[in-house]
Amino acid sequence: MWITEYRDLISILTVSDLRVKYQSSVLGFAWSLVNPLLMMLVLYVVFSNVFHMSENQYALYILIGIVSWRFLQNGSSAAMSSIVGKPGLVTKVYIPRQILVLSSVLSVFISSLLEFLVLICLLVAFGVPISFTVLLFPFVHLLFLFLLYGLSLGLASLYVYYRDLNQIWEVLLQAGFFLCPIVYPLSTIPEQYLPIYMLNPITDLITIYRDIFLYGQLPSPATIAIVVISGVILFSIGRLLFDKLERRFAEEV
Amino acid sequence: MEEIKQGAVEEGDAIIVEHLSKRYRIPHERKQTIFEHIFSLFRGGAYSYEEFCALDDVSFSVRHGETYGIIGPNGSGKSTLLKILAGVLYADGGVKVVQGRIAPFIELGVGFQPDLTAKENIYLYGAIMGLKKRDIRERYDAIIEFAELKRFENMRLKNFSSGMVVRLAFSTAIQTDPDILLVDEVLSVGDESFQQKCNQKIGELRTKGKTIIFVSHSLETVHNLCSRCLLLDKGHVIQIGPTPDVVHTYLRLIGSKGASS
Repeated sequence: MWITEYRDLISILTVSDLRVKYQSSVLGFAWSLVNPLLMMLVLYVVFSNVFHMSENQYALYILIGIVSWRFLQNGSSAAMSSIVGKPGLVTKVYIPRQILVLSSVLSVFISSLLEFLVLICLLVAFGVPISFTVLLFPFVHLLFLFLLYGLSLGLASLYVYYRDLNQIWEVLLQAGFFLCPIVYPLSTIPEQYLPIYMLNPITDLITIYRDIFLYGQLPSPATIAIVVISGVILFSIGRLLFDKLERRFAEEV
Repeated sequence: MEEIKQGAVEEGDAIIVEHLSKRYRIPHERKQTIFEHIFSLFRGGAYSYEEFCALDDVSFSVRHGETYGIIGPNGSGKSTLLKILAGVLYADGGVKVVQGRIAPFIELGVGFQPDLTAKENIYLYGAIMGLKKRDIRERYDAIIEFAELKRFENMRLKNFSSGMVVRLAFSTAIQTDPDILLVDEVLSVGDESFQQKCNQKIGELRTKGKTIIFVSHSLETVHNLCSRCLLLDKGHVIQIGPTPDVVHTYLRLIGSKGASS
């Protein structure tokens, strides 16, 4: 397996990615934490009057949504340009190209873990009782990673051939932000549409994160099943695309 | 179809290539966006392209410990051949058998990050060239020593002169200890004294019995290093044989081309 054979390269590439990202700004990592907090503040001010949420912890409700969403947004964007952005590693030397996708997803994964850590500190600070369900977080986040990796394989390989994919993806992400229950409560969705609405795995993931962090509940098996199934589907499609398109990467990059 | 078989090689051969061919697609229109693709669908234009044969029925073999030259005029397919051997490009037909770990010196310093320090870049580049972290740690002193950059190990690469970057790259790459080296005219790096060190190092590797595939325009270097040569022209093998003979043919080939044009 290439993952075990090249694990040193994967970890060095991941860490280098993080170093480059955070070394260039003075505040470094702090900025990537300030960003979601500011975003939460804006959304809170705008939407707290619109929805008249019954949620006592509306601010934290939004923040969990944002932090989860950022993993998808940053991860998919970074991974999409992982092949095109490192042409030397594709055309001048042979390494399994999946490594480029995996290491860029992993570096965003580490950033995301730190964001969640700050989130947990805020939960404690706001007096939310932390339940044992928090222990499920690593498993859920690994599941999210798997889903994101599958998606990224597809996006990264398609982007080599279609260079306007990033523009399209940006719009889709914009739409996705409002299709997921990030700023509004699930109760605003009409009852009859709820089963369809819950088919979106990102919606399920956000719901799971809120269950384990905010409400101290075990996530429902149905939501987990949907996430696992969509993860497997995305991974299969992503890998199929990648294997098919990989052969001419060095000519197209 | 291309196959890579390990261990199916005859004793003594490091590389065997049989009937290798590679065709590039040259599209009639460059379509690189989804928008352009959809647009052309409506216009009814199908995806059309010409094929350009970069390599056609190329066969040769390289023995273990041999220094083998590949020469030919521009556009003869030398780099394509090297990239197929490196595994970067896929062949469209033929068989390629490689025995041993192969290290491509097609371009030095691939993946260097200007924002990272020399030390970090050694680890990064070493890993890209196939070393484990442990190996790099062991060889780190030798690398920085050979590059003569001990004083600058914690300086960011963007503050290095281009000569220093190349020295760092060569020193790291040469420590990867491959069985087969693919060299594409990268050895003309650095100043005179570093150049000498490089040549010395290459000589050392040859005496250690490493296989070296050498692509160059410099006939003098090929003459000095390689015992056998392969002459390519327009993707076809013109001649394989002892270097002096092949170089002679090559010079005649260039001469006749010059006369006809």
